[in-house]
Amino acid sequence: MLRFGLSSSPVTLDPRFATDATSSRINRLIYRRLVEFDGSFTPIPSLADWQRITEQHYRFTLKTQGRDFHHGKRLNAVDVKATYDYILAKNNASPHRATLALIARIETPDENTIDFFLNKADPLFPGYLVIGILPAKLIQQGHTFNRQPIGSGPFEFSKWPEDSRVMLSRLRDKQKLEFIRIPNPTVRVLKLLRGELDMIQNDLPPELITYLAKRSDIKIIKGEGSNFTYLGFNMDDPLVGNHAIREAIAYALDRESIIKYVMGGAARPASAMLIPDHWAGNPGLALLEYNPEKAKMLLANAGYDTSNPVKITYKTSSDPFRIRLATVIQSQLAKVGINVDIRSYDWGTFYGDIKSGQFQMYSLSWIGIKTPDIFQYVFHSESVPPNGANRGHYANPVADKLIKVAQQAGNLDAMAVSYKMLQSHLLETLPYVPLWYEDHVFVSRSDLEGYTVAIDGNYDALVDVQRRIRSN
Amino acid sequence: MLKILVSRLLSTLVVVFGVACIVFLLIHLVPGDPVEVMLGESAQQADREALRSALGLDLPIHTQLLNYFNGLLHFDLGVSLHSKRPISEELLERIPATVELAVASLLIAIMIAFPLGVIAAVRKSTIWDSSAMTISLLGVSIPNFVMGPVLILIFAVQLGWFPVSGREGFASLILPAITLGTALAAILSRMVRSTLLEVLNEDFVRTARAKGLSETTVIWKHALKNAMLPIITLLGLQLGVLLAGSIITEIVFSWPGIGQLTIESIKRRDYPVVQACVLLISLTYVVVNMLTDLAYSWLDPRIREGNL
Repeated sequence: MLRFGLSSSPVTLDPRFATDATSSRINRLIYRRLVEFDGSFTPIPSLADWQRITEQHYRFTLKTQGRDFHHGKRLNAVDVKATYDYILAKNNASPHRATLALIARIETPDENTIDFFLNKADPLFPGYLVIGILPAKLIQQGHTFNRQPIGSGPFEFSKWPEDSRVMLSRLRDKQKLEFIRIPNPTVRVLKLLRGELDMIQNDLPPELITYLAKRSDIKIIKGEGSNFTYLGFNMDDPLVGNHAIREAIAYALDRESIIKYVMGGAARPASAMLIPDHWAGNPGLALLEYNPEKAKMLLANAGYDTSNPVKITYKTSSDPFRIRLATVIQSQLAKVGINVDIRSYDWGTFYGDIKSGQFQMYSLSWIGIKTPDIFQYVFHSESVPPNGANRGHYANPVADKLIKVAQQAGNLDAMAVSYKMLQSHLLETLPYVPLWYEDHVFVSRSDLEGYTVAIDGNYDALVDVQRRIRSN
Repeated sequence: MLKILVSRLLSTLVVVFGVACIVFLLIHLVPGDPVEVMLGESAQQADREALRSALGLDLPIHTQLLNYFNGLLHFDLGVSLHSKRPISEELLERIPATVELAVASLLIAIMIAFPLGVIAAVRKSTIWDSSAMTISLLGVSIPNFVMGPVLILIFAVQLGWFPVSGREGFASLILPAITLGTALAAILSRMVRSTLLEVLNEDFVRTARAKGLSETTVIWKHALKNAMLPIITLLGLQLGVLLAGSIITEIVFSWPGIGQLTIESIKRRDYPVVQACVLLISLTYVVVNMLTDLAYSWLDPRIREGNL
C-alpha cells in the first residue's frame, strides 16, 4: 500500500463536475482525456489524434491505447460524444459547459471517429477537450460517478470508505494507493516521519520543508510550477488606481529575498501570468527591479512622503502562510513610506469581497492556467464581474485591442505574438504586480522511487512510483 | 415525571425552531457564496447561474427557508451543495466518531479529576493540594493545538506506541482522548475540590466520622455523593461541548467527527450542511441538559419529590 497525504479531500470523482485541484488530479489517474498538454502547454494527443478539417470542424480519431474501461467495456466514439453531450446539456449544470459552449454538435461516423462542429472558429479548441471520458451506457443509467468512478485511466477506483480516505488500485501491478486527508500540516509531516504516509505534495510551510530536508529517511523533490501569485489592485480607487503608486509598490518589493528567506527558495519570480516557457508566454520580459529609492522618488513625485504616507488596505485569506507573506510585504512597503493595513478573512468572505470589487489591494494566485483565453477573462474591459474576472476594473483600450487581435488570429503562432505583446503591455500598466510562480514540493520516504513533479502539480507520476526493495 | 418530560420536549421544539431560523438567516447573511467557492477562479458567469439555479440558491430567501422547514418536517435534512450526498448520510458517518471521542475523553477527565480533586480537598493547603491544582492549571492552560502535536511527537513518533492520527481502531483513540480529557480534567478537578471542601464542613460528615466510619468511606461515599450535584452539572455541560465536536482536536488528529464537518462546511458555505450540523449540536445540548436534570432527581430525592 502506498499512502499519499492531502490537505483537502476530493469533492467529486466525476470529471464532468470536478473543479477543485484535488479532484481534478485524482480524476486524471482514473480517467483518460482526448487531449493533454506538453511542457509548454501546447495541446498534444492523448486518447485521440486530431486534424482541423475546417476552422469550425475538428476530427478526432481514437488511438488504440488506453481504451479499456475498468468495467470491461471498450471506450468508443459514442462514449466521447455522450460525455460531452452531457456537459453541454443545460439542465445538467456542469461547471465546464460555458468553456465548451462553442461546440455546435458532435457526430460519430464510426466507432473511432468523432467530429466536433463549432459555432465559431477558435484555434485553442483542442485544448478545451480535457474532460475525462465516461462510459456512455452508464451515463445513460445515471451511474453515480462522483462516488463510484469508472474510467479508462491507469488507476482503478477501489473504495471511498470515509470522506478523508480514497483508495485506488494501479492496473499495471495491482499496487494499492490510498489518498488520506490530514488537514494539519505538522501532523501530516509527523505521519510521514512515522511511516504512516509515504508521500506528501505541497501545502507545507517552508520551515517544515527545511526540517525534513535534514533527515536521511526523507527525500524531497522540488519542481517548477505554473501557479501564478500576484498583487491585484482596484483601478477605480483614487490611490492605487494611480499608476505611479502601483509602480512604486512594484519597485519596493524585494521578491528575491521573499522567495529565498520566506518561501525557502520554492518559487521563481514572475513577470507575467503565463510562465515564460508557455507557447504564448513572453520569455523576453524583464523581471521587475527591486529599487526602493526609485519607489520613494515616484511617491514623492505623486506628493507623498514619510510625513504624508500612502495608506493602503491589503486583503488576504486567513491561511497562516499567506498572512506571513502579507506581513513581509507590509514591512517592505513601509520602508518606502507606504502604510499597509492587512485584513485577513476566511476564504469565503475574502473571495466574496474580491469578486465584488471591495478591495484596494489583495494577493491571490491563479491555479491551473493552461490556455491564454484567460487574458480575455481577466483583463478585458468587458470582463468586469459578473461577466469575467476583471475584478480591478482594468480598462485599457490597447489591452482590449491586443486581446481582440489574438482572438481573431487563425493559428497559434499568430495568436502567441499578440499575447506576448499583451503581456508586456500589462507589465507596463501594472493592473497586477506579478510576484512569483510557486514550485511544487514533493516529500516522500527515502525508499520511494520514480516520482517526478509535473509543472501543474498533477499526480500523474504515481503511475511509476515504486517502493525500493531493500537488498540485505 | 411525564409532565417534566412533555414540557421539556415542547421547549426543545421551540429552541430547535429558533436555532434553525437564526442559523439559516445568519449563514445567508455572512458574505461569501457557495457557488463561487465551488467553481473557483476560472468559472464563467453562465456556469455560475446554472449551478445557482440547480441548487435552488436563486430562489428568494423566504422560499428557501420554507423549503428548508418543509424538509425538516419530513426528517429530510437535504443534500450537501458540495458533495451532492444526502446530509443525513454524512452526519451518520461522523456521529459515531464524535460520540466515541466524547465518551473516551470524559472518562479520562473523570479518571484524572476525581483523584486529583479529592486529594486536594482532603489535604487542603498542603503540598499535595498545591501540586494537584498546579497540574490541573497546566492542563487547562496548554491549548489543544499544542498538547496534540506534543503528545504525537512523544507517544507516536518517538515511542511509536500509537498511530499519529486518523481513526483506525482503539489505539488511535487514545491520544486525542487524552488531549481533550486533560483540558476538561483541569476544570473538573477544581470543581471537585471546591464542592467537596464545602461539604466536608457539614454536620453529616461530622456525624459519619463520629460514627467511626473509615475516612475513605466518609469521603467517597458520604461527602462526594452529596457534592455531586454541581459536578454533574459541569459534566453535562462538558459532555455537550464534546458532542458538539471538538474542532481543533479533530483537525489535529484528522478525526472524522462533527466538528471537522462543521468547520469545513462553513468554509465552503455549504449552507444545508452547516444548518444540519448546528441543528444537531443544539439538539445534543438540549438532550444532554435533559439527561442532567434526570440525573439530578436520581441523585437528590428532594428534586424527585418536587420539594426543592
